[in-house]
Amino acid sequence: MNEALLEEKIAQYSRFPRRGKLNIVTDTSEFMNIKEGDVLELAGAFYLVRGEESEGRFGLDGEPKFWVKKAIDLADGSSKVIKLVFHESFKMYIGSTPIQCFRSPQKETRILDKTRGDPHFMKGFTIEDPHGNLIRIIDKIQGTRYYDYINNLNADHEAYFHEAFPSIFDNIVQCVQAINRLHRMGEVHGDIRNDHIFIDRKSKTYIWIDFDYSYEWSENPFGVDLYGLGNILLFTIGKGFHNVPDISACGPAGMKLLSCLTPDDLSLFFKHRVANLQKLFPYIPDSLNHVLLHFSHGAEVFYETSEELLHDLKICQTDLIR
Amino acid sequence: MNNKILIAIDLSENSLKAVDYVAKMMACHSVVDITLLHVIKEPSPDVMPDEQQRRSHVEKTRAETLGLMEEAAKRLTAHDIPEKNIHLKIQVCSKPVAVAELILHERQTEGYGTIVVGRRGMSKKEEFLFGSVSNKIVREARDCTVWVVE
Repeated sequence: MNEALLEEKIAQYSRFPRRGKLNIVTDTSEFMNIKEGDVLELAGAFYLVRGEESEGRFGLDGEPKFWVKKAIDLADGSSKVIKLVFHESFKMYIGSTPIQCFRSPQKETRILDKTRGDPHFMKGFTIEDPHGNLIRIIDKIQGTRYYDYINNLNADHEAYFHEAFPSIFDNIVQCVQAINRLHRMGEVHGDIRNDHIFIDRKSKTYIWIDFDYSYEWSENPFGVDLYGLGNILLFTIGKGFHNVPDISACGPAGMKLLSCLTPDDLSLFFKHRVANLQKLFPYIPDSLNHVLLHFSHGAEVFYETSEELLHDLKICQTDLIR
Repeated sequence: MNNKILIAIDLSENSLKAVDYVAKMMACHSVVDITLLHVIKEPSPDVMPDEQQRRSHVEKTRAETLGLMEEAAKRLTAHDIPEKNIHLKIQVCSKPVAVAELILHERQTEGYGTIVVGRRGMSKKEEFLFGSVSNKIVREARDCTVWVVE
């Protein structure tokens, strides 16, 4: 594609006019220098950079991720997320427990390949630039973050639980099944969070995103993923997290609730988060609460595999009143 | 029950306590046969993509480990356990296999009557996230005795 044709395609697919000289980038090593309006030329394809993705965690505008570019594929105008190579290693905290985390383009590439036909994982492919950088070209999911979807539901907990929850729960069980498929392939997601599930606007499919976190091998390779799944279940069943200070702020009714909570009812990882949700919402069936208690401070037995968790979740599905 | 003992050590203080315990318990047992086993986990390619770097890391760790294992063996000979009855074994693992599984496999193939492990004193949170070798061995070991030294 020559520059004139590129300019034509940019005008066709971009809502905003491009300014200045066209900058075509082939080496993506210096990702900080790749700016909005630049064109990435990768394996014969051209992508117009529209800016950077940001963390967007918990509904807030977070830090820009300079290695993750919003882009338009100039072949067809489709929206892409282009993940450039950023080898970083950092200490992540799960509650107060530190864990060394590595960002691995190789791992994400492998999972994209292995989950190619699976609708519950983001879609994309990897190309290598002339400097050996593994660049992932991801299809932008048109839809809503699961975290935002649940937070924007306008219902009290009891109405939510009886009306919306059963079908949401079915979708979450499908997400757990997808993670189980990943585990059976010898992979882990690595960064399971409420905002790493997207709900596709058209198909309503729940889709996992972002698999590039990796860790040193441990005795239980699935522990970090299971921790993440536990959080998602707590969030889903509780229609958000319920923390002791929030309950305290509910006046006498809150204080009455608090008086029946013991330290064992709280989350294993977050000391103020209630895990024994049945004490707050008595209509939660025993089978569902039994699952949550595996993530509580009082737990004596933990899930070691997603298979074990799925087994219990399937019992919950049959126990839920439809 | 045979007289072959497998001590799985990670060279932490607690695993050396396990060596000391066996040394004291077996001080008068002249026919005991003891293997010290240490597993080196090769770094995952996702964490250390360069193969040469991974190999060098393993070789460096192996050299350091061997020295420490020889020190551990001296704790046994200091209690009059004959040197010829003490064996050092280092296994390098390049796949994400649980250490407990490797130890149990070693026990089965070599026919050890007793497995000895130290307990690292993990918190509940750490056990959830990372898993515990000693707990897994206690739970899954068959046809042998397990000593967990704290």
